[in-house]
Amino acid sequence: MFCLSELEDTVRVPPSDLNLPLEVAIKKALQKLFLDKVLSIGLCVSIYGIKSIEGGFVLPGDGAATYKVRFRIVVFRPFVGEVIAAKFKESDSNGLRLTLGFFEDVYVPAPLIPTPNRCEPDPYNRNQMRWVWKYGDDEFIIDDSCQIKFRVENISYPPVPTERAEDAKPFAPMVVTGTIDDDGLGPVSWWEACAPISDDED
Amino acid sequence: IFIYVFFFFNSKSFPFFLFYESKHRCEYVCRVKANAGALTNFEVLDLLNSRGASKDTTRVIASETVSRSEYKVYDYLMETAASTQTRDSVTKFSDKCKGFKLAKAEILNIINLRPSSDVELTPILEKPDEREIDIEGILALVQELLPPLPTVEAHKENEQEETEDGEQPNMETSV
Repeated sequence: MFCLSELEDTVRVPPSDLNLPLEVAIKKALQKLFLDKVLSIGLCVSIYGIKSIEGGFVLPGDGAATYKVRFRIVVFRPFVGEVIAAKFKESDSNGLRLTLGFFEDVYVPAPLIPTPNRCEPDPYNRNQMRWVWKYGDDEFIIDDSCQIKFRVENISYPPVPTERAEDAKPFAPMVVTGTIDDDGLGPVSWWEACAPISDDED
Repeated sequence: IFIYVFFFFNSKSFPFFLFYESKHRCEYVCRVKANAGALTNFEVLDLLNSRGASKDTTRVIASETVSRSEYKVYDYLMETAASTQTRDSVTKFSDKCKGFKLAKAEILNIINLRPSSDVELTPILEKPDEREIDIEGILALVQELLPPLPTVEAHKENEQEETEDGEQPNMETSV
């Protein structure tokens, strides 16, 4: 789910931070620049460490010092085929939306929900649709009663839209598409009936 | 060698912000190594712990070193198998996995999820039938080396973790 990435960037330390120890000031500037932002390599979660700092020049007309910094960050970038446990967030006629707390744009489109299924208006929540999987004679509901495991199918980074309607959904710079159409995927409660193999010791 | 650009965006889709007006800009950042190593959930949790993150609800002490968004990652990880793992168990497990002919990504996935049954392990493996993988052996190794999943607060019904936890401690001591 996470990996390390090494980057090099020019960092500007504002004059107000120049009294702090250099590493702390640079880390602060880096956090402001990168933390919780989506780069093309993924969502930056944390600054792992600084490898080297060079420079420290003050450009004319500017009170801040500019450094060339090499550092490593922890990036959230799931790989295709990874199985991740997430929580249910909302669902509509196009599919489900799951959340990981720190990342909320995981979508399971309708074709990747196990068939046969049906979508019905949610009796508990007027605005939402509820997905139900029909397996044999049983019906399994997808809702927020437990964790939902999904497998990553695709990660995309849609380009910034230049124009949007006023009430459109906020732009998601990184979208993970997942599937729950396989053994062991979907709400955890669906598979609890399968006894864990290794628990058969005397 | 040097590759460019990045649009910086806020990753959260909060509906009440017209975030992209002020928050995005182009920057040229040199990416030296996009992938300098995959990390298990445990390693990330360990990193946040060493910075001072904790379950303490006030979170005042560590807020200097751990930001709000890092705390969200911390909260997520505390509910996964990573919260009960130790460096020792994870290293031992990945060493012993070498005998099972698994891909690195699969080992990582197993460590992160800690499957305890066949049906949990199968979606992680790619084409398990064609590769003749010793599923029972892997599950036994998981059982033996990786600590059980954490107990989740009881407001969730039918949580698998609770049944696990009830049985594991007896298993561990008998081994």
